[in-house]
Amino acid sequence: MPLVLKLAFRNLFHDKLRFIATLIGIVFSIVLVTVQMGLYAGFGSMVTTMIDHASADLWVMPEATKCFEDPSLLDDRKRFRVRAIAGVAETLPLVTAFADWRMPSGSSTPIFVIGSDLKSESLLPWNVTDGSVDALSTPRAVAVDRSYLDRLGISGLNATAEIRRQKVKVVALTSGIRSFTTTPYVFMGLDHARAHTGTAANESTFILVRLAPDADLETVRSQILANVDDVEVLTPTEFAGRSRSFWLFGTGAGAALFAGALLGIIVGTVIVAQTLYSSTKEHLIEFATLRAMGSSSRYIHKVIICQALISAVIGFAVAALVDFGVVRLTEGGALPIVITPGLTLILFLLTVVMCVGSALAAIVQVTRIDPAVVFSR
Amino acid sequence: MTGAVIEAVDVAKALGTGVAQVHALKGVSLALKGGELVLLMGPSGSGKTTLLSVLGCILTPTSGMVRVHGRSIEGASPETLAKTRRDHVGFIFQSYHLFPTLNATDNVRLALDVRENPVEGAVAKAREALASVGLSHKVRAYPRELSSGQQQRVAIARAIVADATAILADEPTAALDSENGRAIMTILADIARDHRRGVLVVTHDRRLLPFASRIVHIEDGRIVGEEAGGGGGE
Repeated sequence: MPLVLKLAFRNLFHDKLRFIATLIGIVFSIVLVTVQMGLYAGFGSMVTTMIDHASADLWVMPEATKCFEDPSLLDDRKRFRVRAIAGVAETLPLVTAFADWRMPSGSSTPIFVIGSDLKSESLLPWNVTDGSVDALSTPRAVAVDRSYLDRLGISGLNATAEIRRQKVKVVALTSGIRSFTTTPYVFMGLDHARAHTGTAANESTFILVRLAPDADLETVRSQILANVDDVEVLTPTEFAGRSRSFWLFGTGAGAALFAGALLGIIVGTVIVAQTLYSSTKEHLIEFATLRAMGSSSRYIHKVIICQALISAVIGFAVAALVDFGVVRLTEGGALPIVITPGLTLILFLLTVVMCVGSALAAIVQVTRIDPAVVFSR
Repeated sequence: MTGAVIEAVDVAKALGTGVAQVHALKGVSLALKGGELVLLMGPSGSGKTTLLSVLGCILTPTSGMVRVHGRSIEGASPETLAKTRRDHVGFIFQSYHLFPTLNATDNVRLALDVRENPVEGAVAKAREALASVGLSHKVRAYPRELSSGQQQRVAIARAIVADATAILADEPTAALDSENGRAIMTILADIARDHRRGVLVVTHDRRLLPFASRIVHIEDGRIVGEEAGGGGGE
């Protein structure tokens, strides 16, 4: 092992209690940042889950639609105008709306209805664990996620309830299709959805556009905008971005998550800086000896930065274990914490930057060291 | 060129500022040549350690000149002074200043590790240096496992391992009993004689006189006398 690294290790481990305190600080900081960023990632992924699973090249929606859960209506004349544009292969109406679900017990709960053309498979339920999507074509058939069975007051497949005083029957159960608003999604056929939400037969919330194989997306988009009034045309990526932006920043939820993450970084930086500073102060005579021996400032800085990096790596490893537990705990929850490999890498780099940045105070202190102190002690 | 390893010419050094300023050195000239062991003696506050620090390029003189192997260090930056120290000077301190978390070999190896270019076979060199001061059986021992005399020997090994041409020792026997003190001085005298290095020892201890090739007396920041010692040397 290089001597610089060995010296850094020994300086850190020399006072085990202080090192443990440092680790706790780093772990607390990183776990806090991870939870906030994981929530952000989970939230960001959940708010776009429907857009991500829809099969469309373009989304046509009423102007100023904020997100998927912001239903306004388009009439079918607009859909026909879109269909007439060169390069458009299919226009698929999608109906979404909030409604009341009346349980067998008589109480009710809000739901979010998603109705699509079953044959075109524009937005069908996925991860079906019980029953089948095909069964949705039968009268009054709906699909719900099994995690909402209690909320919906039903026992499972074949259970019945009412939406707008009309009976519905659960013919398919899904797994993992959760709503971040905690309002359960209820899938059904397009006509059933219109009937259950009071939407006219010639209206829909969105028009999903599929392009012909050789069509140019931007040309089609500009043609739609030129020929159809009062609509916006977004790609799935753009619509997902708008939804995410609305929920994360329009509502302040994202700012709160970022504030929490920032707090974690500040706490971690201060704790690590304090530890490195006091460790350096304790070993000042040794650094002065190194300086008297002719060591360059760079060599001494390397020792301190190695101490910071060792703290970062060990702290991050412990934090990763804690994070793994937190992820497992929230997996089935209303808002799961999502940690992707990319986020893990970012968090590791953040830990390293935080720890090395924390070493600055110690480096400034050691830079001012007078090697002549070795003669006075 | 004077042939001196390190040389101070009419050096003055003021420490502190304003009313607290002390003129620790007042026009001191001293040359340390290879192969000699010079004792620098004087009462407390006479300027011994300040002169050692100036000769060792730790302090820069207020006026006058310090030359290391004939090259003036005037105007040198702290990093240049550090390089001069690591290339030419080895220090031995009264309280050893060993690194408590490193074993004897690593303590010695540090003097090689601080060099910009890695030294090949650093561990072997460090052990060789330890063997030369009679500590081949303690290469893995930590400072807390060594006696005071052994700790000072490790410090000597650290001072000589990088082939410094000048060894500057500040009261190296002050914390040792007379037997260990003699042993340390024997090693230092051997280093001067056998390796042609200049060794300067700051001390109060008159029992060290037999080891010196030359004895320089300093008082109130001035050299007040010089005499030949009873030790070998040039």
